[in-house]
Amino acid sequence: MIRKLLDFGYKLLEKNKKLEKFKPVLNAVDGFFFGTAKTTISSPHCVDCIDIKRFMVTVIIALIPSLLSAVYFYGLRVIFLIIISYIFGGLSEVVFAIIRKREIEEGFLVTGLIFPLTLPPTVPWWVVAIGIIFGVIFGKEVFGGTGRNIFNPALVGRIFVTISFPKIMTISWYKPLVKGIAGFGKWKPDAITSATPLMLYKSEKTLTSLKELLFGFAPGCLGETFKIGIMIGGIFLVFTKVANWRIPLTYLLSVFFFSYFGHIFSPDKFAPPTFQLLTGGLLFGAFFMATDPVTSPFTNQGKFIVGIMLGFLTVIIRVFSGYVEGVMFAILLVNGFTPLIDYLVVERKYGRKYKIIKY
Amino acid sequence: MNRIKHYKTFKGGYKFVNFTGQPQDKLIELGAPKEVLIPLRQGFGNEVMPIVKVGDEVKAGQIIGRDDESISSPIHSSITGKVKEIIKKNYFRREVTFIVIEGDTSSEWLKLDISEKDWRLCTEEELEKKLYLSGVTRLGTCGIPTRYKSSIISPNEVEYLFVHGIGSEPYNILPKTLLSGKKLFHFIEGIQILKKILPKAKIYLCLSNKEKKLSEEIEKLTYDFDWFELALLEPKYPQGYDEMLVPTILGKSFPYGYSAANIGIISLNIRAILHVYEAIVENKPFIDRIIALSGPGFKENPHIKVRIGTPLQEIIKNYLVSETRVRVILNSLMTGHLLNDYSLPVDSTFSHIIAIPENTTRELFSFLRPGLHSYSYSNTFLTLKRFSKRPDTNIHGEERPCISCSWCEEVCPVGIIPHLLSKMVKKNMIDERLMKYGIFNCIGCNLCSFVCPSKIPLAKNIKDGQEKLIVHGCDRTQCILPYFDLKGLEEYRGIK
Ligand code: SF4
Ligand code: SF4
Repeated sequence: MIRKLLDFGYKLLEKNKKLEKFKPVLNAVDGFFFGTAKTTISSPHCVDCIDIKRFMVTVIIALIPSLLSAVYFYGLRVIFLIIISYIFGGLSEVVFAIIRKREIEEGFLVTGLIFPLTLPPTVPWWVVAIGIIFGVIFGKEVFGGTGRNIFNPALVGRIFVTISFPKIMTISWYKPLVKGIAGFGKWKPDAITSATPLMLYKSEKTLTSLKELLFGFAPGCLGETFKIGIMIGGIFLVFTKVANWRIPLTYLLSVFFFSYFGHIFSPDKFAPPTFQLLTGGLLFGAFFMATDPVTSPFTNQGKFIVGIMLGFLTVIIRVFSGYVEGVMFAILLVNGFTPLIDYLVVERKYGRKYKIIKY
Repeated sequence: MNRIKHYKTFKGGYKFVNFTGQPQDKLIELGAPKEVLIPLRQGFGNEVMPIVKVGDEVKAGQIIGRDDESISSPIHSSITGKVKEIIKKNYFRREVTFIVIEGDTSSEWLKLDISEKDWRLCTEEELEKKLYLSGVTRLGTCGIPTRYKSSIISPNEVEYLFVHGIGSEPYNILPKTLLSGKKLFHFIEGIQILKKILPKAKIYLCLSNKEKKLSEEIEKLTYDFDWFELALLEPKYPQGYDEMLVPTILGKSFPYGYSAANIGIISLNIRAILHVYEAIVENKPFIDRIIALSGPGFKENPHIKVRIGTPLQEIIKNYLVSETRVRVILNSLMTGHLLNDYSLPVDSTFSHIIAIPENTTRELFSFLRPGLHSYSYSNTFLTLKRFSKRPDTNIHGEERPCISCSWCEEVCPVGIIPHLLSKMVKKNMIDERLMKYGIFNCIGCNLCSFVCPSKIPLAKNIKDGQEKLIVHGCDRTQCILPYFDLKGLEEYRGIK
């Protein structure tokens, strides 16, 4: 059935020269439903079964716990936001694919899902649309598409909306729904609260209880609150090798380390380490955004360096800047350093001189 | 004394598990065929001169090609019959002379025409001569050294001999089948013979650490050989390469791009040792060979003993599955040549013939399937080790730009960064930096191309880069010669 429709589409394209431009769209749909018929040309005659689609889908699978928790806590409106994000993200991707005459890449499947999950629950739909369009265009397409982008597109969009609409993005939060089937039966929660745990800490020095943080009963961004789900997803990602373990591990450890010592020296400025680890977008960022292979270093040493830098910056921004959350800024900043770090590591690795080896 | 030693494996690599169509423990002898095509260049060495004419009667085991002046070993007729023609043919991208012999399918063969004295009583010279005349000396990547110009180094320069039967490829000949029954004793004797020829060599037998029973048996038989060691290794691809054996066992770095003989190491496989035994003890010239038919493209996967020069057609015709189109590959699924001309003959370098189905069907939602039988470096498929994996030729996805997932770097056994090199080559940045980043270290194992989720032909790009660099006047000698003290004939060391 699908096959017939697609073949019909291809015929249409052949007949009508003007429609030629839309070939990437059809190719993408075709590729989405059907695997490839291509075979290897020379050795290796047999190649791995994984492809980029599966790679990206694995990330989406890992995001499912966060996604479900977002719906549970904040109502069905979340799904609407995600659809908006996919539509507008997809459209900008398609437009660029047509202009550039290349294939549509699968990266936006992940960007389109991660982006809305990092937004506060009260966000209006048009902010989602603007953010994702900006993210896809300026985070990815201006660099030449997936694989060449320096910054994580979802983060670029997120930072853009944070800076452009600070009121919308920081002032009002919903109290999560917790009773019964909660969000699955409701469009959106009605109780408004004004502060996330990090804000509470910054203004009143109150610590939210661990249990609330772990299960996501405290207010926060859509997908970032249910820490257990994020951890499950993150560990799944690391297990499948789609995300490298080095970045999340060093990131989290260094946040722990810096806030531990910070807390010892100046307990009223630095929140205690476990609180730091479980608040805000840290876990989400560490597992799903800092590990984005394109924007993180490819060298192993580089990954460790980046993890430490991220931890340091996150704590510093959280403590000393006007923003309560430092994860996004830290990741974006470090993304900018990634090519340099890689370059230095590679130079160091291959710059060594060898001694003469006698057998 | 404890002869077994376990070694730690190298960094990188990938373990192929449970690919369907592994060779079975079964040996079939295929008699002498009606016609053979014998290439005059087989294994290590230069092409030899034909010493027979069209119309000559030849016996199986008679020398038909020989050149004592250049580095080579004699070549024998593998069947009894008449020389039909001498032709030139393209054989694995090389123009090679073939002697075509039409035979009478009798299975007899001529013994080597040297005394059948017990080898223990022979002098080294006699042994070397016998080995050289039998043609066995052309086995191995650089031949077996004798005083008759069969290798690039002399027997006294050999410090280590590696006998490898690790089985790190997707498909492997079974050591169990090769060494069944009496063969094991022959094998041990073959090793002793080689020790006599290569007096300074320490001999390592490298086996997979799964081969518990076999290694115990061998240990019992070799307890008083103090020059022998049984090295048990993890069967991870490409552990069987010389380039990987040297660092894992000796802990030294390898002059990539050179042969192990350049550093005084000879590596042979188990079959070569058996051939040595046959030549010395049974006076048998090198005329047949055991080949494993592997892969799901065959109905059965036996080991087959064939005469050298038998056309492929004869060997595989009864075994190929008929329902699907298959691709036939020589020796290795990862690096092997495509065999599409079934009239080409088998020579002494063949060890596997692999057939896998050509898969051009497009699966619905292929990327969402659980993939119980999919093989992958990643763990994104719901598969377990014990589920069989059925390889095919589909590339399983579209080519995409590199996403820097660095899997290629993780699997690369020599620790270079394939995606970086590939990108530089593609951008045409051909300069010394490529060399500095170790492009000539690539041993061509093709693992990087195998794992890449973006389906980038990394290994091919790297090869292209090497070729372009050579055009620019950089070559591997510049990376190796300043750092290594190599042995061997000058022409094989890149010294001009
Ligand atoms: S495996 Fe492929 S996608 Fe991953 S880094 Fe290497 S070339 Fe890039
Ligand atoms: S770069 Fe060369 S040695 Fe490394 S994995 Fe690729 S083919 Fe093998």
